[in-house]
Amino acid sequence: MSASSIVSVMLGLILAPLLFGVINRTKAWFAGRRGQPLLQTYHDLMKLLRKGAVYSRTTTLVFRLAPAVELAAILLALAILPAGGVPAVLAFSGDIVLFIYALGLMRFFTVAAALDTGSSFEGMGASREVYFSALAEPAAFIGLAVLVRLGGGASLSVMFSGIGKAAWLAAGPALALVAVALLIVFLAENARIPVDDPNTHLELTMIHEVMILDFSGPDLALILYATSLKLWVLGALIVNLVLTLTDWTGMSRMAAFMAGMMILAVLVGIIESVMARMRLLKVPQLLIGAGALSALALILVMRSAL
Amino acid sequence: MSSSGIVIALLILAPALLVGAAFLASSSRAVIRLCAWGTAAVAAVAAYALWMVFTTGPLFAAGTWLMLDALSAYHLGVMMLVFLLSGFYSVSYFRREIEENIFPRKMARRYGGLWFGSLTAMITVLVSNNLGVMWVGIEATTLLTAFLICIHVTPGSLEAMWKYLLMCSVGVAVAFTGTLLIAASTAAGSQLTHALLWTHLLQGAAGLNPFLIKAGFIFLVIGYGTKVGLAPMHSWLPDAHSQAPAPVSAIFSGFLLNTALYCILRCLPLVEAATGNTGWGREILVVFGLLSILVAAIFIVAQHDIKRLLAYHSVEHLGIIAVGVGIGGIGVWAALFHVFNHSVCKALSFFCAGTLGQVCGTHDMRRMTGILRSSPVWGGGLIGSLLALIGTAPFALFMSEFLILKAALDGKAYATAVLFLTGLAIVFVGALRHVIPVAWGPETSPRVYGRASATETALVCVPLVALLVLGLWLPAILIDVLNRAAGLLGGGL
Amino acid sequence: MTGLLDAILVMLILTSFLLLGSSRLGACIRIGALQGIMVGLIPVAASGADITARILAIGAAIIGLKGFVFPRLLTWALRDSDTSSELKPFVGYTASLLAGIASLVASFWLASKLDLAAGASSQLVVPVAFSMMMTGLFLIVARRLAVNQVIGYLVIENGIYVFGLAVARDVPVLVELGVLMDVFVAVFVMGIAIYRINREFDHIDSDQLTTLRG
Repeated sequence: MSASSIVSVMLGLILAPLLFGVINRTKAWFAGRRGQPLLQTYHDLMKLLRKGAVYSRTTTLVFRLAPAVELAAILLALAILPAGGVPAVLAFSGDIVLFIYALGLMRFFTVAAALDTGSSFEGMGASREVYFSALAEPAAFIGLAVLVRLGGGASLSVMFSGIGKAAWLAAGPALALVAVALLIVFLAENARIPVDDPNTHLELTMIHEVMILDFSGPDLALILYATSLKLWVLGALIVNLVLTLTDWTGMSRMAAFMAGMMILAVLVGIIESVMARMRLLKVPQLLIGAGALSALALILVMRSAL
Repeated sequence: MSSSGIVIALLILAPALLVGAAFLASSSRAVIRLCAWGTAAVAAVAAYALWMVFTTGPLFAAGTWLMLDALSAYHLGVMMLVFLLSGFYSVSYFRREIEENIFPRKMARRYGGLWFGSLTAMITVLVSNNLGVMWVGIEATTLLTAFLICIHVTPGSLEAMWKYLLMCSVGVAVAFTGTLLIAASTAAGSQLTHALLWTHLLQGAAGLNPFLIKAGFIFLVIGYGTKVGLAPMHSWLPDAHSQAPAPVSAIFSGFLLNTALYCILRCLPLVEAATGNTGWGREILVVFGLLSILVAAIFIVAQHDIKRLLAYHSVEHLGIIAVGVGIGGIGVWAALFHVFNHSVCKALSFFCAGTLGQVCGTHDMRRMTGILRSSPVWGGGLIGSLLALIGTAPFALFMSEFLILKAALDGKAYATAVLFLTGLAIVFVGALRHVIPVAWGPETSPRVYGRASATETALVCVPLVALLVLGLWLPAILIDVLNRAAGLLGGGL
Repeated sequence: MTGLLDAILVMLILTSFLLLGSSRLGACIRIGALQGIMVGLIPVAASGADITARILAIGAAIIGLKGFVFPRLLTWALRDSDTSSELKPFVGYTASLLAGIASLVASFWLASKLDLAAGASSQLVVPVAFSMMMTGLFLIVARRLAVNQVIGYLVIENGIYVFGLAVARDVPVLVELGVLMDVFVAVFVMGIAIYRINREFDHIDSDQLTTLRG
C-alpha cells in the first residue's frame, strides 16, 4: 500500500478515458479525417452526468444497481493491477483469480441488466457476450497460468516482477504466444474489431453496445467510465508483459508503462482500421485459437514436469 | 565390376530401358508385344541371376547396397514368373480391346511405360540390401501402379485409384517411420551409412536396442501391411484389384502384395534376434494374418463381383502366408511354398476372370453362369483356379495350407489352428456358393465366343497342371530352394 | 542454436493449428507451403556451427520443393475446379482445433514416456513430430476434399522428417534425396489424380466417391 501504488491507481482512474480518444483519433487519421478531440470522452462523461436518467417500466432493481456494481467491480480489478513495476494496492497470493472474477462480476451485471429490460435485442447481445466470454476465459486463465509458472508467484504483482530477461531467453516463444493470446482476449473482452464493432448503428450486429442501449444519464456515464477502465486494466496486462523485456525501474518504468498504454491504444486503432469485423460464426474459432496458443505456451513451459 | 554386380545392375537397368522403348513403340499392338517379350528378356536375366545365387551364394553390388540372397532370389523367381505369364496374357487381353478400338496408342504407351516402370521398382525392392532403398522402391511401386489402375478412366477406376494412392502412401509413410526407428536402434557408435544395411543389422542383431526395434517393427507391419492388404488396412484392395485391367490385377495380387510382405519378412530375423528369440515379432504376424483371413472370409460370402471375390481371396491368402511365417519352423517353409502357389493360381484366375469379363461384358457373377459350357478353356481355368484357391485337394495350395496347419498343431498353437481352420472353412463354403452356379448354372444369355488359341490354352492349362502336379510331388530342387530361403527366416523343413 | 530450433518447431505447431482451422483451399495450400519452408530450415538450424554444403543443399532442396513446387502443383491441379473452400468437413473446424490441442498434449505425454531423443538437439523435436503426424492423419480422415487430404499427407511427411531428425542421427544423402523425390512424385501424381477426378466427376469431394462398396 505504498504511495506509488496509490499514485498508479490514480493515474489509471484519470487517464483511462484518454484511451478512447487515442483510439478514435488513430482511426480518424487512417480515414483521412481530423476526428474527435482527444479529451472527447471526458466531455461525454460530464455531459451525461448532468443529464437525468429515464428508466423503462419493465426494469427492476437489478437494472438500477448494475452501473454501480460494474464500476465497483472494475475498481476492484484496478486495485489488484500492478502498473509499471509498482506492486498493486491489493496484492496477495491468488489475487489473479479475484482479478478475473471481478471482471466476471462486471460482465454478469451487464448481462443481467440487459436481460432485465426484457427486450429481444439486448437478450441477443447478452447471449453473444456470454458465449464469447466463455470461450475467451480459458485463454486468459491459461495464459496467466504460464506467467505464474514463469514468475514464481500466484499474484499479479509478484508475477510481473518475477519475469525478467532471463525468463524471456529461456521461454521466449511461450511468452510471445501468451502475449498474442492476451491481445486476442483483450480485443474480445473490450468489444473491439474483429470481435465487435463499436461504431455500428445496427442493433443486429451489436454485442456490447446493444446491452447498454437502455441506459441513460448518470448510469450511462458510469458504464462508459467502467468500460474505459476495463480497457485500461486488460491493456495493462499486455503492456506489463511486454515491459518485462526491459529492466528499467522506478520512474522510468512508470513512464514507459504510460507510454506503452498509449501505444497499445494506437495499436488498437490500427487494428480497427485495417481489419474488418469477423463473421460471428468465425469468432469462436478465433477465441479457441487464442486458447490453443495459451495451451501451447503452457505445454512448452511445463514440459519439464510432464 | 564383378559379374554379380553386372547381373544385378542389368536386372535393374533392363526394365528401365524398356520403359523408354515402350514410349517409342509405333502402335498399341507393338506396345503389348513389347510388354510380353521385354518381360521375357528380363526373366532370362533373372533366371541367370537365380542360377548364380543358388549355386554360388548371395550376390552383392554397389558396395553391398544391393544384394540378392536366397530369400530375395526366390521372390524374384516367383515375380518374374507372374510377370511373364501376365505379359503374354496381356497380348490376348488387349488384342480384344484393340479390336474394339478402346485402347489407343497413347494409352498403350502409357500402359507399357508404367508396366516396365513397376517392374523396375519391384526389382529394386527385391535386390536392395539398404532398408532405405527398399522403402524408396515400395513408394515408387505405389506411385507407378496407381495409374495402371485407371488406365481406362471411369468413375470406379478413379475412385479405386484415389483410395489406393492415399491409403498406401500414408501406409508407406508410416513404414518409413519404422525404418527410421530400426536405423536408430543400432548402437550409438556404429557407422552412419551402415545403419540401414540389412546385412550389417543382422550381424549386430543381438546388440540392437530392443525397445526401438520393437517400436520400429510395429510401425513397419502396420505401414507395409497396408500395402500387403492385411486387415484392417485392406480396404483399398478390393477396389483397386477389381477396377484395374486383368493383367494389372494379376500382377497386383500375384506379386505386388508379396513384395510388401517381403519387406516385413526381411526385418523379422532382426526383431527375433534383438528380442532374444521370444517370438514377439512372430506373434504380431500371426495376429494380423488371422485377422485378415477372418475378415476376408466374411466378405467373400457376400460378394457378387468376380474380381472383388478374387481380391478378397488375396487378402485371405496373404493372411495365410503371414500366419505361416509367424508360426515358424515348417510353417515358414510352407508359407514360402504358398507364395509360389498363390501367385501362380491368382494370376491364372485373374486371366480367366478378365477374359470372361470381356466376353460377357460384365463381372457380375450372377450374370456369368454356366461358363463351363460356353467357354470350356477360360471357364475351366476359372473354376479350376477358384477350387485351388479355396484349398481343394490335391492342388498345391491345399498342401501348403495343410503344412501350415500341421506346424501350428506341432507348436501347440491350438487357438491359432482353430481360428485358421474356421476362416478357411468359411471361405470354402462361401466361395463354393458362388462357384457352383457360375460353373454349372443355366446359361443366362447366349454368347458368341470364338475358340481359344493355342497360346491361350497353354496359358491356362500349364499353371493349372503345374499346381496339380506340385500338390502331389515336389521336385528336389524346389525343396532345396525353399529350404534355403526359409533358413534365412529361421525356419525350414 | 537451440533457441532457433525451438522457435522453428513452435512455428511448425502453429502452422499445424492453422491448417486444422482453415477452410479456404488457397489458405490451406499456402500454410502447407509455409510449413514446408520451416521444415527445410530445420537441418540448417539443427547443425548450428558446423554447417556443410550438403546440409545447405538439402535444406535448399526441401524449401524449393515443399515451399514453392508443391503449392504450384496443387494450385495447378485445382485450375478447373469450382470449389474454393471446404464447407462440410467431417469434423468441424472448432472441434478440429480442440482435437489438435488434445493431440499436442498426447504427443508430449507419449514422448516423455518413450524417452527416444537421447541425442537430439532439442527437447521439443519428438513431441512436435508426433503431433504433426497425428495432425496430418486427422486431416486425411476428417476432410472431404481431395486437396486437403493431400495436404494432410504432406503434413505427415513433414512430421516424419522431423522425427527422423531426432531419432536417426544421420540418414545417407542418397536415401534422403530418394525420399524427397518420392514425395515429389507422390504429390505430382496426386495432383494429376485430382485433376482427372475433377474432370470426370465435376467435384473433388472424396466422400461422393462411393460407387464401390462391400
